[in-house]
Amino acid sequence: MNNNLDQTILRIAEIIINTLKLEDVTPETFEANLDLVDEVGIDSMDLATIALVIRDEFGVRIDEDDYPKLTTLRIISEYITEKLQGEE
Amino acid sequence: MASQALQDACWKFADIIARPAIRDRWEKVRRYFFLRESTYDMTHRCNMRCDGCYYFEGEKQFAVENGDPVAWQELMTAEKERGITFAVLAGAEPSLAPELCRICADTIPLGAIATNGLKSLPREIDYRVHISVWGSDATSKAVRKAEHMLDRQIANYENDPRAVFVYTFTSQNITEAAEVTKQLAKAGQQITFNMFSAPEGYNGSLRHTPESLSAAAAMMTGLLREYPESVLFSHYNIVAHTHRLGLHALYSCSYPRMNPSTNVGLGRSFRQYRTDLQWDRDAACCVPDTDCADCRHYAAGSAVVTARMYRHATNPDTFSAWLDYVDTYLAVWVRGYDKSPNLCDHPVTPPADGQ
Repeated sequence: MNNNLDQTILRIAEIIINTLKLEDVTPETFEANLDLVDEVGIDSMDLATIALVIRDEFGVRIDEDDYPKLTTLRIISEYITEKLQGEE
Repeated sequence: MASQALQDACWKFADIIARPAIRDRWEKVRRYFFLRESTYDMTHRCNMRCDGCYYFEGEKQFAVENGDPVAWQELMTAEKERGITFAVLAGAEPSLAPELCRICADTIPLGAIATNGLKSLPREIDYRVHISVWGSDATSKAVRKAEHMLDRQIANYENDPRAVFVYTFTSQNITEAAEVTKQLAKAGQQITFNMFSAPEGYNGSLRHTPESLSAAAAMMTGLLREYPESVLFSHYNIVAHTHRLGLHALYSCSYPRMNPSTNVGLGRSFRQYRTDLQWDRDAACCVPDTDCADCRHYAAGSAVVTARMYRHATNPDTFSAWLDYVDTYLAVWVRGYDKSPNLCDHPVTPPADGQ
């Protein structure tokens, strides 16, 4: 479970970095509890774009009402992991 | 129907934006995702009194006007610091407070000004200028009590690249849009369309009916086809703004007045300042005192439809329609942004959340 979550965190970090073209950070150095809105400066359109890439990658649909809650890499990864487990 | 839904569900976002035309447009519009707007009433004065005016409804018209340039400078500096990148200067008539508009434009470089166009704004205020048109000169005289309004508006903004004329369709002026658009196109002006959206408690004759919504859609479609160089609009704009359901029912309005979330997006950053430089979260939206159930306002749609990107990324056709909408909104609102030809040449049904 933790191993799965760690892998998901790394993959989501990579998605965020690539989608937002972030510099000076790697999936390994991306702080999982960093507030993406307050500390990284991403907005709702960035989140929507990330959500679409996640949908492609994991086959997980993120409800529009859930966007505002997905404020850290860890929360996004836990959300994805939970959704995937729910489908098993 | 079920097979269509299945087909839609099979499209990956990566495959949608792999199409060259879509990819180019996506890259073009996403550069502007940094825009974060707030709106500001500049003065409680106006040089007109129009039937159905939004400003002179509700409490905001009674706010004590703060015309102190120092206070405005402090406000705009604070707005910039909290991340606002786009200022919309509105009520009642911003051209009556040009020195305050200048302060806003000098501090936040991107923005738009909503004006009736009877008094020209100094050229150095380099915001988009939205000039409101409510019909032919005969109608303007009846509804707005102003003579030869369109001629005066065109003369004031002749050869002015800031200008966009905003034709508001009411239930009463639909056919007049043809002659007005023709006149504006001939004068080399750009025009976009707005829908009259009733202020709360409004029971006058301008309110739309199912029949007038359909007639407005037909007129918009004809004008878009006849004047593609002058009309800043898309087929999806027509669908979104003339649908029997209002914008909130279709897309779930993301302005604070209807959106309790303060985590991200408009619910977090948007404010609507009154002329006393105060704001109220419960009243904050682009056109306060509009009846939300009847809202089809162009300013609302620009934010609300754009925010619903995810639900439009179901197939190339629907995503192209959304891109046309965003491309239109940016051309209408952002100085120096040029509209591209629409990707989608037909109406597309607005997708529901969860499709």
